[in-house]
Amino acid sequence: WEVLGPSAHVSALEMAADGGSSSLQLPCVFSPKSRQFLALCAQDGRLRIWNTDSKTLHQEYVPSAHLSATCTCIAWGPCRTVKEGPQRKKRKSEAVQVEEKADLLAMGTAAGTVLIYSTAKGALHCTLDGAHSGGVNCVQWHPEESLLYSGSDDTNIVEWDLQTGKTRSKWKADRAAVTSLCVSPDGKLLLSAGHIIKMWDLDTKEVYRKFTGHSTAVTTLRFATTRPPDSNGLYFLSGAAHDRLLSVWQVREDGKDKNSVVSFTLTDEPQHIDLVTSNSKEEAVRLAVVCKDGQLHLFEHFLNGPCKKPLSPSCTVQMSDTKESPMPIPLLAAVLGADTRTVMLAYGSHLQPVMEKVVSLLKETEIHDVKTPIVNAKSKVLVPGLPGHQAPLKGTSQGSEKRKKDTDTKEMSIAERLGEIDLSTISEKGASKGTASLQTDNFAVLLVQGLESNDASILNKVFQTRKDMVIKKTVARLPLSAVLPLVEEVTYTFVLSYRASLMVRWLKAVLMHHTSYLASLPDLVTQLGVLYHVIESRVKMFHKLTKLHGKLYLLMTQVSANICSAASFKSVFEDYSLTSQELSLSHKERMSLSSPHFCSYTPGSCEKSLHVVSKHLMTALRAPGDRFCKTELDFVLFSV
Amino acid sequence: MASFKPTKIQVYPKLGEKVTQDTLYWKNYKAPVQIKEFGAVTSIDFSPVTPHNFAVTAFTRIHIYGPFSQEPVKSFTRFKDTAYCGRFRSDGQLLVAGCEDSVVRLFDVSGKVALRLFKGHTKAVHLTDFTSDRYQILTGSDDYTCRLWDIPNATELTTYREHTDYIRCGVTSKLNRDLFITGSYDHTVKLFDARVEKSVITMDHGQPVESVLLYPSEGLLVSAGGRHVKVWDLLKGGQPLVSLKNHHKTVTSLALSSNGQRLLSASLDRHVKVYSTTNYKVVHNFDYAASILSLALAPDDESIVVGMTNSILSIKHRKNQEDSKEIAGQQRRRPSYRVFVKGKNYVPKQDDYLVSKPVKEHLAKYDKQLRRFNVSKALDTALETWIRFRKPEITMAVIKELDRRGTLKNALAGRDERGLSQLLNFLIGNFVDARFTPVLVTAAEMILDIYQSIIGQSPLVDRQLLRLQDLVEKELDYQKELLEVLGMLDTMFASSLPRKEVPSPTVDHFPTCSLNTDS
Repeated sequence: WEVLGPSAHVSALEMAADGGSSSLQLPCVFSPKSRQFLALCAQDGRLRIWNTDSKTLHQEYVPSAHLSATCTCIAWGPCRTVKEGPQRKKRKSEAVQVEEKADLLAMGTAAGTVLIYSTAKGALHCTLDGAHSGGVNCVQWHPEESLLYSGSDDTNIVEWDLQTGKTRSKWKADRAAVTSLCVSPDGKLLLSAGHIIKMWDLDTKEVYRKFTGHSTAVTTLRFATTRPPDSNGLYFLSGAAHDRLLSVWQVREDGKDKNSVVSFTLTDEPQHIDLVTSNSKEEAVRLAVVCKDGQLHLFEHFLNGPCKKPLSPSCTVQMSDTKESPMPIPLLAAVLGADTRTVMLAYGSHLQPVMEKVVSLLKETEIHDVKTPIVNAKSKVLVPGLPGHQAPLKGTSQGSEKRKKDTDTKEMSIAERLGEIDLSTISEKGASKGTASLQTDNFAVLLVQGLESNDASILNKVFQTRKDMVIKKTVARLPLSAVLPLVEEVTYTFVLSYRASLMVRWLKAVLMHHTSYLASLPDLVTQLGVLYHVIESRVKMFHKLTKLHGKLYLLMTQVSANICSAASFKSVFEDYSLTSQELSLSHKERMSLSSPHFCSYTPGSCEKSLHVVSKHLMTALRAPGDRFCKTELDFVLFSV
Repeated sequence: MASFKPTKIQVYPKLGEKVTQDTLYWKNYKAPVQIKEFGAVTSIDFSPVTPHNFAVTAFTRIHIYGPFSQEPVKSFTRFKDTAYCGRFRSDGQLLVAGCEDSVVRLFDVSGKVALRLFKGHTKAVHLTDFTSDRYQILTGSDDYTCRLWDIPNATELTTYREHTDYIRCGVTSKLNRDLFITGSYDHTVKLFDARVEKSVITMDHGQPVESVLLYPSEGLLVSAGGRHVKVWDLLKGGQPLVSLKNHHKTVTSLALSSNGQRLLSASLDRHVKVYSTTNYKVVHNFDYAASILSLALAPDDESIVVGMTNSILSIKHRKNQEDSKEIAGQQRRRPSYRVFVKGKNYVPKQDDYLVSKPVKEHLAKYDKQLRRFNVSKALDTALETWIRFRKPEITMAVIKELDRRGTLKNALAGRDERGLSQLLNFLIGNFVDARFTPVLVTAAEMILDIYQSIIGQSPLVDRQLLRLQDLVEKELDYQKELLEVLGMLDTMFASSLPRKEVPSPTVDHFPTCSLNTDS
């Protein structure tokens, strides 16, 4: 992306169905090297492999026990080239070659087995089982030999030989579950972690170092450098559950490595990590972290000893859709390209992730206001999701707009489609009619149910309607058997009188729609007699009330007329006060001091203050004896 | 000297639900005890013998609760899957329960492990019951069969394959050991006789049957399914008697009150309805928090136990007389009262000379003031906040009394802004109450007459007057509509009355005009 600068927002059309993936951590890994595939394991246990070039589903595989033994972690392992972290893949650039494509994929399951899936065959390669009694938390490939390491809830680490498919060794790693593993780039050391991070010598299977500091289970371990441990230059980083920090630890020769040397701040728990290791001091470590809240943070740091201050990301990316009020789209995973400026992103729903390669000018960005991008309409927009779309976005708004239009014609979000449907129905039936008829049908059913079971909450809900149309249609659709109960219910509420005014409408509607039915009732008088009497007693006072109303009306109009004349008389004063106000602004302060009501008095709010003045004048004239009013009068005189 | 007559406070009829014998009876329960079970409570059964424990089947457990305990006195947990329909034998010694895994288990109530396992069904067993001879068990299953088992040998005696869908409910006759009834999702209820190997009577309920219930006389059968509760006459060969439709969701459970006079039905719509069995009208209604799956009444209606889908078991105990007596006792212990009633029940002997001492009249404050003709003060007292809000009828009575004496004007006059606004507040609050309107209109008119000169001087009073005006306007609109409705009703009544010849030929075209006013 050309300028995914300080407030880098990448907007996207919202994916039609977001399966709530943002709340769940799903194993999601890009294949190493070429990044040709994205492996994603859904909650239902399906493994889906997406082709990142064509943006299509490449393969889908459903393990036989996918519901009982869901996949907890996956790791790509192409011909002994790659190692992965639990749940995420880590790209180690190591030996490669024999095959261009990443082939083998290791999946740890909750049942304690490890499945090896071959993308070349498109089928299960083999199953490694029998060694773990608890669920597998992490699988890691050895970078060179065909070995696989898995850590499990049963506190053990197992070393599998893929040649034979058997366990080569198994040892107890921790008192708690092993939640994370990482093999060093040279293949000589293994990091394992529950709450304590342990570094094992893979030859002897003995603990080489221990690192303590995390209070929750460590979910992420990654070597940051490829240097040997005896040069003080070996660094690795770790992230833990519920922790918004990534800690970097230095493995020192002298063993004085009690605390982490550097930490990176994140906005949420890390979910997916990718990093480019540094081979020398002059080379920076590049790190891309996707957090649980769906944001991507990019870091660049030269690892050379402790740094007290936590480091902020050099760039933060949040995807959003292009609606008027954009909603954020969670990122699933991100990997850094070999070329320092590209990043491959996967985002949206896990059912249909969108993959995209973007270019960043990481170094040119200013870092200040990057931390929490605010999603707004003004942000520069890059519309992703088009197959083959890799073009960097021009910073000009014109370009982005064009792009936006393009996609709008091609793809429509569900909401837009629904909107269109709405429009079409409205145009057919006319706006209010269409919706009302829908609702009344509902209401008629509800009302019948409520009357049958005498359920107060249902009846309340129905009777609270104020729309005449709804009431009419509801009553019209009412089956005859429900008419009399309704009348009874209405009578009952009439007696209670608290919502009687609403019930009149219902009563009228019933009488109008079911006249003939009601008239045909032989015992009509007894059925409606109570109602009749209730109403009659209520309207007895009509005559007197009308008179009273007349009286009140007369008096109140008199009063308001008086007020009006007073106000018009006073307006002369106000004009004066206003002009004096405008002429001598210096008076303003004094005035505001003298009367707190005028504190907000500024020339700009003349209207308001006019009103206030007139009000105060009126009260002042009406009751001149009042002390408060006196000050008002003083004020007016003063301003005149 | 004529004594002062205190102001008569008019008693207005209470609005709202009518109080009947039934509402009194069914409201006489304490606040429910709620117990959280492990899953939806599908069945509750009371032991027929004292102390009338009850078995609650929920998820994979059956808990037995004592009549007052809130902790289970016993629990059977050895089910491999969801248990169904835990039922006691008539002697309260044995308990049988079905299970999702198709095995029927028989427990000794005092033991823990199943005494017998009845294997033979191929699917979940939702119905289990003992026959009245106590040596056999009836089961009904999702495999469409119902079977009779011999308890001592744990062997199957007979299988009935007449139903064509799941059998979910059933009951055995308490009088005849060979009769039993099953209800199935194939919409039918069948009465079987073990002596003839097939069903004797088939009744079509019309919906999947969820529950069946036999009257103690066993002449009537009640079935529940869908939204209907139906009553059948077995003696007439299964004739439908009544069909009740008082729920808006599926009825799941039925129960009969101890005297057989009230039928209870519980439904997914969260209601329990009580019907009178004489006219099958709803006489009472209970509301619960969640959909109800099971319902049971303790003998003598001592408690109502309801199991819900949210796995809550709700137990309502009847308030017994001891509790109320206790309260009364507390009152009697109050010394002041005892002093007050001292000698009250002394009966004078024949030759005692009676000196009548005038009972000191206790007068309310406003009455005292009225007696002293402090009309303004009396009205003030009647307008005190507590009376104004809690007992507006007292205020009304005082105003009425003042009006009767012709001193209302005096009482209303001479108030300052605060007093006037208080008065207006009361007016605004009670004006639309049809019971009070006549008096208040008079008062309002007087107020306007008295204070019209000062209107416009106090913004507070002005605002209240405006509100009053508003209120009156709304009321008038409303009454206008009511008058229209009255007109409609008149017309309707007129047309419904039989047309009679009216003697006067001039009104021949409108023969009912004179009649409708009477109605």
